[in-house]
Amino acid sequence: MARKLTRRDFLRIGVVGASATVLAGCKFPRRWEVLEPYVTPPEEQLSGQPTWYASTCRQCPAGCGIIVRVMNGRALKLEGNPEHPLNKGKLCARGQAGLQVLYNPDRLEGPVRQSKRGSRDFQRVTWEAGLNTLAEKLGAAGGSVAVWLGSTTSGHLYDLFQRFLSAVGAPAPLVFDLYTAFHGYSVLQQVDQQLFSQAQLPSYDLGNADVVFSFGADLFGTWLSSVRYGYEFGQFRSQELGKRGLLVALEPRTSLTAAKADKWVPLKPGSEALVAGAIASLIASRGFGPAERVDRAKALAKPVDVNAVAAAADVPADELVRLAQIFAQAERPVAIPGSQLTGQPSAAEASAAVQVLNMIAGNFGQPGGVSFTPAPPAANLVKPPVSTVSDVNDLISRMAAGQVQLLIIHGANPVYELPQKDAFMAALGKVPFVVSFAPIVDETAAFSDLILPDRTYLESWGYEVVSPAFGTPIVGSQQPVVMPVYDLRAAGDVLLTVAKAIPAAAQALHWDDEVEFLKEMIAQLPAGAAGGSGSSVLWSRFLQHGGWWPAQVPSQPSQPAATLPAISAPAPQYQGEESQYPFFLHPYMSMFLSDGRGANQPWLQGAPDTNTSISWQTWVEINPVTAQKLGLKIGDIVQITSPYGSMEAGVYVYPGIRPDTVAIPLGQGHTDYGRYARNRGVNVLRLLNPQQGAEGHLDWSTVRVKVEPTGRRMAMATFEWTEGVMEGFPNKSIPGY
Amino acid sequence: MLKLLPRSGLWRWVLGVAVIALVIIAAYFIFTSRTEAQSTQQPIAFNHQVMVGMGIGCLYCHSDARRSPTAGMPSVQLCMGCHKVIDPQNPEIVKLAAYWQKGEPIPWQRVNILPRFVYFSHEVHVSVAGINCEQCHGDVAHMTVDKQVVRMNMGWCLSCHEKQPNAAQLTDCVVCHQ
Repeated sequence: MARKLTRRDFLRIGVVGASATVLAGCKFPRRWEVLEPYVTPPEEQLSGQPTWYASTCRQCPAGCGIIVRVMNGRALKLEGNPEHPLNKGKLCARGQAGLQVLYNPDRLEGPVRQSKRGSRDFQRVTWEAGLNTLAEKLGAAGGSVAVWLGSTTSGHLYDLFQRFLSAVGAPAPLVFDLYTAFHGYSVLQQVDQQLFSQAQLPSYDLGNADVVFSFGADLFGTWLSSVRYGYEFGQFRSQELGKRGLLVALEPRTSLTAAKADKWVPLKPGSEALVAGAIASLIASRGFGPAERVDRAKALAKPVDVNAVAAAADVPADELVRLAQIFAQAERPVAIPGSQLTGQPSAAEASAAVQVLNMIAGNFGQPGGVSFTPAPPAANLVKPPVSTVSDVNDLISRMAAGQVQLLIIHGANPVYELPQKDAFMAALGKVPFVVSFAPIVDETAAFSDLILPDRTYLESWGYEVVSPAFGTPIVGSQQPVVMPVYDLRAAGDVLLTVAKAIPAAAQALHWDDEVEFLKEMIAQLPAGAAGGSGSSVLWSRFLQHGGWWPAQVPSQPSQPAATLPAISAPAPQYQGEESQYPFFLHPYMSMFLSDGRGANQPWLQGAPDTNTSISWQTWVEINPVTAQKLGLKIGDIVQITSPYGSMEAGVYVYPGIRPDTVAIPLGQGHTDYGRYARNRGVNVLRLLNPQQGAEGHLDWSTVRVKVEPTGRRMAMATFEWTEGVMEGFPNKSIPGY
Repeated sequence: MLKLLPRSGLWRWVLGVAVIALVIIAAYFIFTSRTEAQSTQQPIAFNHQVMVGMGIGCLYCHSDARRSPTAGMPSVQLCMGCHKVIDPQNPEIVKLAAYWQKGEPIPWQRVNILPRFVYFSHEVHVSVAGINCEQCHGDVAHMTVDKQVVRMNMGWCLSCHEKQPNAAQLTDCVVCHQ
């Protein structure tokens, strides 16, 4: 060019060029839409107007009430049911993600069979063929049939299966999944039966307490009823006269609960019961608090060498004294034994040691204390009991001995969830026929012969006796909010259909369909808060309001007196020699993926973890000082080895954990279960002891591991990069360092 | 600026053509933005004149106009209610029956479309204001093929809203642009 290009010219050319490019890139507007009417319209729907249906969430065993916004046959949004006495209109992330359970692209569209287990070469069969096969196998098996249910299987399905199995002379259904096993539901029930003659899960009235000691209970994450505890926490923090309550979290890692606590006591894993015992003993020996409390402490607590406990728990002795003082002198203290305790050997004793503190406080049935909820006024409506690990091992032995001809699985995934999965898989080989009701091919369904996919919970009928229910007996209702997405039969209807072909069961299961059974069961209940009279009105109100609960909160049943022999806290026992395995392993349930069932919902996968902001991955949390010593940075891949297995994960340098502990979240490491779950992360259960169940509960919280760098790195999908988080530590100019 | 123009005549031609093309494209966008469908090729040659001639009112099929923001389209079941027996040999009715047999909805091409930033409620206009369907949708009774008769833009809506007793309320932006 003869003339030099100036900046002004450049801008002019640039603007003209850019706008030409933009316009050229635009497509012609396509102003058309297709209006698709209904083929057969439902009666109560208006186009363009949503309808709200009440139902029960099934993403965890808590049983929160939900309302679902449905527009023209599509479920659009889940919210908590404001009328439901348990969750009072609140709903957690897992509840919200229920839409992705309903509209999951990996759902099976109909029954499938595979000729070789594990081949995953499923062929579609008709419902007729599937039902006939099941009927045939059931008839041939007689009493040698085993049913394995999950904790989120609807109460009515448990009741139907239980009646069926009883009629054919088979053992009652097993109710076992990782969620309830990890949080020690069976242990909690056992302890409550032992101490208070109430074999049910306790409710802790956090909202009215003034001092709460949580021993490893992730109240706001996944523990028992996290939505309700979140609500309670709001009440706890907004008490009269500006009081905020004092929450102390005693656990080795800063969980979500510890992050919201006023004090985090990072005690050694396994020493929680010792600390509780020391607190009880100190109340007695130092005479903290009102006289009745001191007297009860003297009766219940064994004298303890506080300095020995301080050393064993790695909590300074004066801290223990202060904790004892705070607890005893509070007006409404409550102590909560959490899953850290129920995952140890001697879990029952460990949990009892913490309940002793509640006995000392005298808070049973009192505001701010422990309570048990009366059962609903209907003899047949009972919460199904959760099975123990011993029960699981019994079943595995029976399977291995060839005593089970047919295994039916609904709502559980043992091949993924059991630390003793190898034993289960071996025993499975001796079971001639396995039927799964899973809506998606999960790890267990991949080793089944026939899958009769059940409808997902938003398309299903059911009821749920809620536990823990925080003082108000609740029977939650469940109804389909949309037409089933695929041509699928409800598991209850499948059972009722095939039962007709089995003479022994046909009498016991005489209902034509599951709704008839549901109506009969619910008809036992008197009019509740929703009022009305006549069975059809009561049934409608049951569905419309999301369940049954009484108009008045019943008075608390009287609590047994604490006349028990002194309970001593068991000393911790660890698995693995310290010299070889220097670190404690702390597996935990992420509030999104929970026990792994959330891994196929991308909203849950994509939600950043509450404490590390990592999504879609498995990671290992390591204390910064430890990381520095080992020369590890965030993103380094390390191999973690326990006495039982080994795995690799990316490092996340996390200040909120003991230097001698590493934490790994559960939930990833699926080999099946859909495109979002498959081949992602690692299943930390492989590090646990496959010899489970010596004491009946899941043993997970006292395993030791070693951590070895591999030299490789990975990109961590996190919002917070913790490299350099401990720069400047220790600050030698501060006295003490 | 003029110094920037290319020296050679050919390049001036090319630039000129490009500019004119841009202007034409821009004009096309401006003058053809409509609130109606580009095409009115319907899957079934539905003829309103016949229906209305039989004495069937608008609300028989578009029944949600009374109580919902959207007027609604008649379900296939509703059509078949009559057309199971009325004129089944007509090739268009045969098409309808085919949709019913297959359990598929009829993919009607929408005629009246408002942009998504506008909130319009049929219920308010039909039930509360008591406006006749023909006032906005024209003489549908004599249409053989559906068309939008008036450009449903804001000015047209306002021309009626302004004449109402509660014009101050109805001409508030927020009423339609929620």
